[in-house]
Amino acid sequence: MQTGWRQKIYHLALWLVSIIFFLPVVWIIMGAFKTKDDLLAIPPKIIFSPTLANFTDLLSRHDFFSSLRNSFLISACAVFIAIVVAFLAAYSFSRFKPRGSDFIMFVLLTIRMVPAAAVVVPVFLMYTVFGWKDDFWGVMLFYAMFSIPFSVWILKGFIDGVSPRFDETGLVNGGSRMHVLFRVILPQVRPGLIAAFIFNLIFVWNEFLFNFIIGGKKTTMIPVSLVSGSLAQGGVDWTFVASLATVYLIPPFLAIYFFQKYLLIGMTFGTVRGEV
Amino acid sequence: MQYHTANTDPAQTAWSQYRRGLGSRLRALRMAWIDNSRYFPLMLLLPVLIFFLLWNIIPLLWMVGMSFYNYSLVTGMPPRFIGFRNFFDLYDSYAVWGALGKTFIFVFFAVGIETFLGMLLGILFWGSTQLPGRRLALTMLFSPMVLTPAATGTFFRLIYEPTFGIANYFTTTIFGAKIDFLGDKFWAMPAVLLVDVWMWTPFMMLITLAALGSVPRAELEAAEVDRLSWVKRFWYVVLPHAKFILMLGIVLRTIDAFKVMDLIYQLTRGGPGNVTEVVGITLFRKAFEGFTMGWSSALAVITLLIAIAFTSIFLYILNLRRRVAES
Repeated sequence: MQTGWRQKIYHLALWLVSIIFFLPVVWIIMGAFKTKDDLLAIPPKIIFSPTLANFTDLLSRHDFFSSLRNSFLISACAVFIAIVVAFLAAYSFSRFKPRGSDFIMFVLLTIRMVPAAAVVVPVFLMYTVFGWKDDFWGVMLFYAMFSIPFSVWILKGFIDGVSPRFDETGLVNGGSRMHVLFRVILPQVRPGLIAAFIFNLIFVWNEFLFNFIIGGKKTTMIPVSLVSGSLAQGGVDWTFVASLATVYLIPPFLAIYFFQKYLLIGMTFGTVRGEV
Repeated sequence: MQYHTANTDPAQTAWSQYRRGLGSRLRALRMAWIDNSRYFPLMLLLPVLIFFLLWNIIPLLWMVGMSFYNYSLVTGMPPRFIGFRNFFDLYDSYAVWGALGKTFIFVFFAVGIETFLGMLLGILFWGSTQLPGRRLALTMLFSPMVLTPAATGTFFRLIYEPTFGIANYFTTTIFGAKIDFLGDKFWAMPAVLLVDVWMWTPFMMLITLAALGSVPRAELEAAEVDRLSWVKRFWYVVLPHAKFILMLGIVLRTIDAFKVMDLIYQLTRGGPGNVTEVVGITLFRKAFEGFTMGWSSALAVITLLIAIAFTSIFLYILNLRRRVAES
């Protein structure tokens, strides 16, 4: 359609828009490579000599490793459990439609629509009484619960798209129920599984409020250490915050680079499909 | 696979035997109590129901129960039953109505601006399939929405910082005035809104792209053959197909904007004064700074009801779309 210089200008404009949206992130990444004096300089320095001192400083903090490990462990375990549980439930909802499944689907969606601040109050009360605060299992299973609704919605949509004839064929030919579930259906809903996995991972990786309230020293994840670093008494430790933020950024950034086509499914509970 | 060549590699033979073994084992995994049970659908649901009971029903009942009590963690007094007084108190509370009003303003402007800008960008990116490095460009564009509000709030505190922040560098060079964006009563709300717009415009753009993608190509080509004007093309060809996805996007965005909490908490903590104190912040502060658990539970019940209303609207549009698609 468009050719030559018109297309070049069009593409240039698109790139410009993308770069403008990315600028605040670039500014933080730049901050991570500045010395404290450069970071706090007036006027702000655009050109500076980069240093890796902030990262070596970051590596020397032991709470950095513990929050990094917690972030990885908690998000991976929680999402894995959530997906397994959600897959079974989604299959049941899709194939057998037990009584009340519409209602349960509705309630599941509502869980994700309630402001987190409202959910955290009763959960906080419950965790205090049960003594689950700052416990790996307590925090991890809570996140698993929080990832389930989203996964059920996505996976149900995908399983609905697989014809029940596959199940029938599998059963008639002598496969067990488990065979049908994991060998016949599972491979066909792989895009849904990937979308659910990636987006729950991003969600848990990003979660702040619950980790702040029901977590503690043993279960601190990166967003919480970011915030506590930035709310420190006696001034914000900006170089620490900037370098930690830079490390934190890498997984979500890679995730949307490599799984871009799942982004839409992921952001809309699987209710909207399509390529971007 | 070559079946006729003799397989001499012992490791590979062992592997293939193992594979075959695994397959038949799974096939033989025929547990009568699973396969013949009438309750198979329920068995599949059981894990979800357990999660549900433990982490939803119990906290929910706890919350509803607690909303009828006067319970403060500060005084150390046991909870005292006061009936609906928490709710009357909420109704009379200036802070709650103020917070609801601010939430409404925030949601209105955030969703409005994001929808407008997102649709513009979506239309701009509609024909971008030939863009060199498209994947990287889109990753950069979409990255704001997958970053945690806790982190973006931190970024923007650095950017808005009154003494050495880069935003103030621009305002001083262009307008010759320093603005304390997050500390000024007038500027705090626009500054917070700007961050939200930065974060979520890409989402509306993604939705717009999906909506545009749902328009059948044949109809677009027909419109081009008929030489419809751009306005008419948009109104009569694109919009009837695109409107459902757009509406879903707008409702989702509204819900998310209503939920906003950690972004504002990180940027301003509801201040200065209470100009950016939305419902989420009020709830958080009353619960975890004031430790008035009964009162906060009552407010949480109210926000839960609002969320249920939003969810119903979302599902209504979803069903509408399905019905139109089927007919």
